[in-house]
Amino acid sequence: MKQETVLEVKNLQTYFYSSEGVAKAVDGVSFTLQKGETLGIVGESGCGKSMTSLSLLRLVPSPPGKIINGEILLNNTDILKLSDEELRKIRGNKISMIFQEPMTSLNPVLSVGEQIAESIRLHQGLSRKDAWEKAVDMIRLVGIPAPEKRAKQEPYQLSGGMRQRIMIAMALACTPDVLIADEPTTALDVTIQAQIIDIIQNLQKQLGMSIIFITHDLGVVAEICDKIAVMYAGQVVEEGTTDSLFEKPLHPYTNGLIQSLPKLYEDQEELSTIHGTVPSPYNYPIGCRYAERCPFATELCRKKQPELLTIEPGKKVRCWMYSKEWQGATLMEEMTV
Amino acid sequence: MTLFILKRLAQIIPVTLGVTLVVFLIMQMIPGDPAIILAGEGASQETVAELRENLGLNKPLAVQYTDYIKNLLQGDMGHSLKNNQPVFEEITARLPITIELAFYSILITIVLGLVAGIISAIRPYSFMDVGLMIVALLGISLPSFWLGILLMYLFSVQLHWLPVAGWDSAKHIILPAVTLGAGGAAIVARMTRSSMLEVVNQDYIRTAKAKGLKGYIIILKHALRNALIPVITVVGLQFGSLLGGTVLVESVFAVNGLGRMIVDAIRTRDIPIVQGGVLVASLIFVFINLFVDILYRIFNKRMDLN
Amino acid sequence: MDKVTTTIDHSVLVNARKASRKKNLVSFLNKIKKNKAAVAGGIIILLYILMFLIGPIIAPYDPFDVQLDQKLQGPSLDHLMGTDDKGRDILSRILYGSRLSLGVGISAVLFGGTIGTILGLISGYYGKWVDSIISRILDIMLAFPGILLALAIVSALGPSLINVTIAVGFFSIPMFARIVRGSTMEVKKLEYIDAVKTLGANDMTILIKHIFPNILSPIIVQASMRLATAILSAAGLSFLGLGAQPPSPEWGAMLSNGRDFLFTAPYMALFPGIMISILVLGFNLFGDGLRDALDPRMKN
Repeated sequence: MKQETVLEVKNLQTYFYSSEGVAKAVDGVSFTLQKGETLGIVGESGCGKSMTSLSLLRLVPSPPGKIINGEILLNNTDILKLSDEELRKIRGNKISMIFQEPMTSLNPVLSVGEQIAESIRLHQGLSRKDAWEKAVDMIRLVGIPAPEKRAKQEPYQLSGGMRQRIMIAMALACTPDVLIADEPTTALDVTIQAQIIDIIQNLQKQLGMSIIFITHDLGVVAEICDKIAVMYAGQVVEEGTTDSLFEKPLHPYTNGLIQSLPKLYEDQEELSTIHGTVPSPYNYPIGCRYAERCPFATELCRKKQPELLTIEPGKKVRCWMYSKEWQGATLMEEMTV
Repeated sequence: MTLFILKRLAQIIPVTLGVTLVVFLIMQMIPGDPAIILAGEGASQETVAELRENLGLNKPLAVQYTDYIKNLLQGDMGHSLKNNQPVFEEITARLPITIELAFYSILITIVLGLVAGIISAIRPYSFMDVGLMIVALLGISLPSFWLGILLMYLFSVQLHWLPVAGWDSAKHIILPAVTLGAGGAAIVARMTRSSMLEVVNQDYIRTAKAKGLKGYIIILKHALRNALIPVITVVGLQFGSLLGGTVLVESVFAVNGLGRMIVDAIRTRDIPIVQGGVLVASLIFVFINLFVDILYRIFNKRMDLN
Repeated sequence: MDKVTTTIDHSVLVNARKASRKKNLVSFLNKIKKNKAAVAGGIIILLYILMFLIGPIIAPYDPFDVQLDQKLQGPSLDHLMGTDDKGRDILSRILYGSRLSLGVGISAVLFGGTIGTILGLISGYYGKWVDSIISRILDIMLAFPGILLALAIVSALGPSLINVTIAVGFFSIPMFARIVRGSTMEVKKLEYIDAVKTLGANDMTILIKHIFPNILSPIIVQASMRLATAILSAAGLSFLGLGAQPPSPEWGAMLSNGRDFLFTAPYMALFPGIMISILVLGFNLFGDGLRDALDPRMKN
């Protein structure tokens, strides 16, 4: 299959300015997304994954937030260089988004059908009646029974799972090239989570879009993503295919995350956890940002920040262990065994 | 919903009764012997006795009150002490004027208040916003009777655009209505602004932006509808201040409405007229509050489950 | 043995609570200092209090001295605010009047605030039927639109500044009672109040010594807002001729008098109006600022 790049993000930096100083929420993030591909962005809360996703649509709350550097190339057009009018035509049309909170992300005083249809009218120029019919079709497509009736209802009349399906219907109404799903299942029950993920995957097959799936849940990522970027303290620390990442994690942080997953077929005394805390975005250390928590950290790690190294095509890691400068190569072997 | 309306209707019965009780007690609160004071200085003993008999003041309090309620239910509010006209007729003659004034004033309150509040909220802390909010702060601080005099001086005395006083033409309505509505407009503007600022930070506004909607659609369709909900209550309460304010504004502009009737009656100690006027104004307010509550409920039911 | 330890624990809790209350007060004052509106309002109020204290001393003329040959003179160096229809110096009258206008407002709010606070404390603390009865009474008082309740009272008691004070105070009772009731119900739930109870305090002590100090801030905010309304209402009633009677230099009454000379001497109505407006503005600014400083939702 010929690879076709839909979205390319280069060195994205989103900072927040407040009285406490400058918070580097997103600090030099790069990744690419191919047509039909699903990219997972994984990390703890506060690592900048949500701000990355909001930056893609230029939805970062401003002030205090500001995208200060980088390129976001959607089909080779830089979103950051678009005028407000051009940006509006892309939002919800070529690139759309599902948010974490289905309870609060829908307007409480408008019918859900109208909330879907207004987007269709706007971007596809359909008449009021045709747009409404398409909205009903979309509600049917996301598996809600009695879509004609549901379309006329307001969000308070729907369950959380149904509201998230409406969000999906809304986001996909204009068949976007890219769908950003920012923790779309976090606020939902486990059984509903599985249904929502199924729907997203099915629709991806039908509509052929690319997905960026943002989550803190490695389990979900393993299930649906082709490729994963692990974020830590505003940066991508490791990137690779899902298989390679789970079989052979390179970054100590990635390894820690995987170790802390409960394993189904192994007896475990206790789940391992990563000790220490994430550094404050107002005051990152000068060296590697993970050094404080890393069991392998050396003087070099604390003094100088590692680059994102390409280990092999499609596999990158931000860690001194894989550099020429690294002295303690033995440790690395111990770790990956 | 029907249940809510019925419940709310049941609730206003004790309040209405309480209001009639307070109004009834006005007569009893007069220090000393009400009959002597109301008859005025130098009245003969017979006049005082007759007045006492007419007002029923020699009966026990409980009987007086039940009589008062019985009469009220028949539309009998007693007679003016000055010209012996039925209070009910005096009120029905004046009420339409006050209702007209109140209607235009609340219109000004709502329209001016909403527009100013929305403009302020669109660009908070901008030049326009700060300016409007200073005006609004002045609006709640200026005494309405003084604002009325200032407007009268400017538009009637200096510019001769509008008549000084009276209630004959549309031109006569403008100054009193603006004077009476200004304070409420200021309060509604402040409330609308803060409500809008709270709403524009909500997740669903971010969703609307993510859909690529135009800015004014986001403001008018998505934000305003939600921001208006708390404003409804404020407008309802404003009705109260407005009805009370008619007393002052009608006096400033010599408008022959209910408010001025009450003030004139207090000056001449025509207590039955005062009682009738205060009762009618209060009952109107009670029912407006009921209506506003129901309206609020209709708009707000969707948020119950959140 | 068990009993002793719990007692000790509780007195520790009570003392800790007192200490934290002091700390709260300090941080509260700091917050007010940072709030520009509160500071501006506070300065205005202080200036008026200064006028209240020394106004009559610095007044250049006798405010009641009728000089018919000096009547209706516009502002000049001799009479900074001009003279009225009886030749009295308006500035002197304004300075003297500050005692009346500010005094009526403060007395009315003290009166209404005290009764309202007591009702609110009782209602919130005891709950149940006591609360129901008090709440119904408050509902009835609130059913009267604007100053009409005050007007009804004045109509019975007769026109005078004292009666206006009583009437305006009376109609601020429900606003205080509502706020105090809500805050009392919140404070009552605190563990600390249970601790005081186990220490054997009676209801009176709990209400006065332990609950009241904890709900002072909302009362102060309410008092500032109500002062604005009370001053406006009292001036309004005097303007209608139902409060201060001539030749009193009460500002509302002066304004009313000035209205009759709008064509010939507009400054007669101008200055009393300005004085009332700035005073009310001060209390509104101060109340706004206080509320923002207290309300954590409004924090930036």
